[in-house]
Amino acid sequence: MKQIQPRQNYLGPGGWVWAGKYKLERYLYLLHRITGLGILLFLLIHLVMTTIFRIQGQDVWEATIALLHNPWFKIGEYLVAAAFVYHALNGLRLILQELGFAMGRPTPPIYPYKDSLRKKRPWTIALVAVIVILALVFFYDFIAGGW
Amino acid sequence: MRNTYLQFLQLVTGIFIAVLLGIHMVIMHLDAILGFFGVDVTEATSWESMIERAGQGVWAGLYIALLAFVLYHALNGLRGIILELAPSATTERIVTWVIIAFGIIAFIGGTYVPLALLAGQELS
Repeated sequence: MKQIQPRQNYLGPGGWVWAGKYKLERYLYLLHRITGLGILLFLLIHLVMTTIFRIQGQDVWEATIALLHNPWFKIGEYLVAAAFVYHALNGLRLILQELGFAMGRPTPPIYPYKDSLRKKRPWTIALVAVIVILALVFFYDFIAGGW
Repeated sequence: MRNTYLQFLQLVTGIFIAVLLGIHMVIMHLDAILGFFGVDVTEATSWESMIERAGQGVWAGLYIALLAFVLYHALNGLRGIILELAPSATTERIVTWVIIAFGIIAFIGGTYVPLALLAGQELS
């Protein structure tokens, strides 16, 4: 994979956000990436907690849990839960799409064109609605959990 | 061709994670709503509750499987992002080996503790 020429039109991470008119799916993709990196960061902290701290016994475990009841950690925990809901459901959409399911029948390219993204957009919007509802369910539980 | 298989594994692990982590999230975070439906999982993070689950082979197995899937999915995803930002043969070699080494260390560390707890090792 030798790079023969520099990539002249390469925008870097800035191009993830804007390189002209982006549609809904592109922003879902960007959010997928951000939530993925966020969950990865949480995973590292979570692994340290459930291995190094947990093996030290009950006192250390309870001190760690008490620390995690700090409101800032609670907010972070909710963001991780919401990020998981988003990443999981959007990921299932991407899997269906990548494997060619739910693409609809092919149609002749006659004006007004209806590309496959536009055909699927109602489903995409419905999925976003489901994600929002589930995120609210988790939010309700965080509030009701007496944080 | 190799990256095609890696990406396919990314999809497969993604599906497993959605199920296993879904269970984990519901138990850890939806206790008030589960309680409404008569399922009592309050204080899933208390020492007693955690030790009780850790003593059951099914839970240990599920957590270790989840760890393996999550480590693959997360590290392969990170590898993809890094290689997209800095594509070169050298980066690919370095990133791939660093990630494999990190994944193996994290898996051993993350497997040792549940196995020790399952074996009922006396904790101080």
